[in-house]
Amino acid sequence: MKYIVIGNGIAGIQAAETIRKMDSEGSITVIGDETYSPYCRPMISLVLEGVLSPEKLAIRGEDFYEKLHIEPVLGNRVTHIDVADRQVIIDETSKGGRKTSFSFDKLLIASGADARPIKADGLNLKNIFYMRGQEHVLKMLEALTTAKSALVLGGGLVGFKAAYGLMKRGLEVTILIKSGYPLSMQADEPAGDLILKELVKHGLKVFVGAEVSSFEGDRQVTGAHLTDNSFIKCDMVVIGKGVLPSLSFVPRDQIKVDLGIMVDEHLETSSSEIYAAGDVAEYVDIARKTRWVNAIWPEAVNQGRLAGMNMAGRPVSLKGSLSRNVIRIFDVDVMTCGLVNPPADSDHQVISQINPRKSLYRKLVFKNDILVGMVMVNQIDQGGLFAALIQSEIPVRIPKESMLSSSFNYKQLI
Amino acid sequence: MKKVVVNPERCVGCMQCMVACATAHSKSGELFSAICEVPFPKPRIHVGVGLYGEGFPNRCRHCDPAPCMLACLPGAIYRNADFDTVMIDPDTCINCASCAMACPFGVIRYHEDIHAPIKKVVAVKCDNCIARQTKGLIPACVEVCKSNALTFETSTDALKRKTNEVARTVSAEAKQVTAPGFNLLNAMKKAQTELKVNCSRRGN
Repeated sequence: MKYIVIGNGIAGIQAAETIRKMDSEGSITVIGDETYSPYCRPMISLVLEGVLSPEKLAIRGEDFYEKLHIEPVLGNRVTHIDVADRQVIIDETSKGGRKTSFSFDKLLIASGADARPIKADGLNLKNIFYMRGQEHVLKMLEALTTAKSALVLGGGLVGFKAAYGLMKRGLEVTILIKSGYPLSMQADEPAGDLILKELVKHGLKVFVGAEVSSFEGDRQVTGAHLTDNSFIKCDMVVIGKGVLPSLSFVPRDQIKVDLGIMVDEHLETSSSEIYAAGDVAEYVDIARKTRWVNAIWPEAVNQGRLAGMNMAGRPVSLKGSLSRNVIRIFDVDVMTCGLVNPPADSDHQVISQINPRKSLYRKLVFKNDILVGMVMVNQIDQGGLFAALIQSEIPVRIPKESMLSSSFNYKQLI
Repeated sequence: MKKVVVNPERCVGCMQCMVACATAHSKSGELFSAICEVPFPKPRIHVGVGLYGEGFPNRCRHCDPAPCMLACLPGAIYRNADFDTVMIDPDTCINCASCAMACPFGVIRYHEDIHAPIKKVVAVKCDNCIARQTKGLIPACVEVCKSNALTFETSTDALKRKTNEVARTVSAEAKQVTAPGFNLLNAMKKAQTELKVNCSRRGN
């Protein structure tokens, strides 16, 4: 059996490991454009912050591929998939390189996602960074030696982690948030406000509603003009406007693609024996009950494992994907899961409790007694219990208000 | 292999397991000096309250596969096969709380610990008292539990005991109730809670 895994991020690595566990004979090839040994992507913000050295990002040994008899093909991106001929092609001829093809019996597309690009003039200036991979952060570290002020674009998780890291490095940081409040994709307004207050307390400058129209500078960025005609001085820029699945090489006429590659419960795409997992895959979201790309680490870990099992011949089902996140910023912890901002006209029941003095907040979203979403600010110890309730869709039969109490625990449900 | 088994119906909520656990995981291992220690020793077993005030000793189940282990970003969570115990390496832990999001029982806490680098906040949870077990002692929470809410036995023994308990209750000659005192205590707690709720409703 010839297995090919496109992508050496966590979904690809988990899949390759799982396949090897179940099939000691088959040949496994992992194709990836990043040449580092497998590393933990969410931890790159810790390198920026300066609490973790880049070597500590590695989560598997340098002999990972060798030990599992996996052939690594690193440094280039796949350019085509020939579905009929069962081939994966890396065509570097336009860059003066070679054209290589690899044949497969079973293929996993775990190519992940790339930073969502922005449109603005002067993007080619020095010290303007996307924050997605180890390579980006290593380049940012070089810029840190001279930079005194930074501009962060995007009030999502990446934007906040970048802002937090740069503040910890002693830079003067300004953040631009397009929507009304930060973390609008992950959290709700009260939670976003609590994080924002914490960051502002520590010196973060915030602009809400504005976007960059152009960057100014001679070779190196020195400032940014905003759409509201104001100007912000800065020595470096970090762009954190979310991610988009990397699937330009996928033949859309043969493999069904929506925002991500559409998969079934076995992580198989519309083309048989071709699977997809992780940030590039799209499956039904448990809480939203609709197709959704949940480009998050724990989902990629799980999907990679399950895809590997299915590819190695053990049919296992993925119940659904689920958005969830946890972030710690200074003294504020925020955990979110599932459907956090339900549509106002729907039959969702929302209960919440806030204590601004203690920076405490807890909100639960129910649909027909089934928990479908939660936000917690601080006291997040029991968060996994809520996430498990959302995942299992077990109706809650106890007084729901008791779940808002910090003394709520597992016992109360059994 | 013997494991800690939780029998929640026998818990009276005395929290002695918490004190014993914190002491067992302190520098000195002695209660009176432990309370003076920095960092202050904290328990890894947590007695919570049920809806009616009944006690519930909540500790790590050492799941297999363990959701926390799969969720751990830096790979700090691993399984000690000799003791079938899920462990956290405090040096590798980055205090990201990804395990808190993954643990369906809510048994992981975040604080300084004598086994972690000084001043570093790390994820801390039950380690089945491996240090005590290698000395031939049983886990501290079990040793101190007076009501047998925590027992240290093999899964087979625990299963057999439970089966026998259930069998006795359905037998025609059932005279012996497993734990009349505990049932009475929990019934009283429940009645008390309901009484309070009803009284406050009437008051309104």
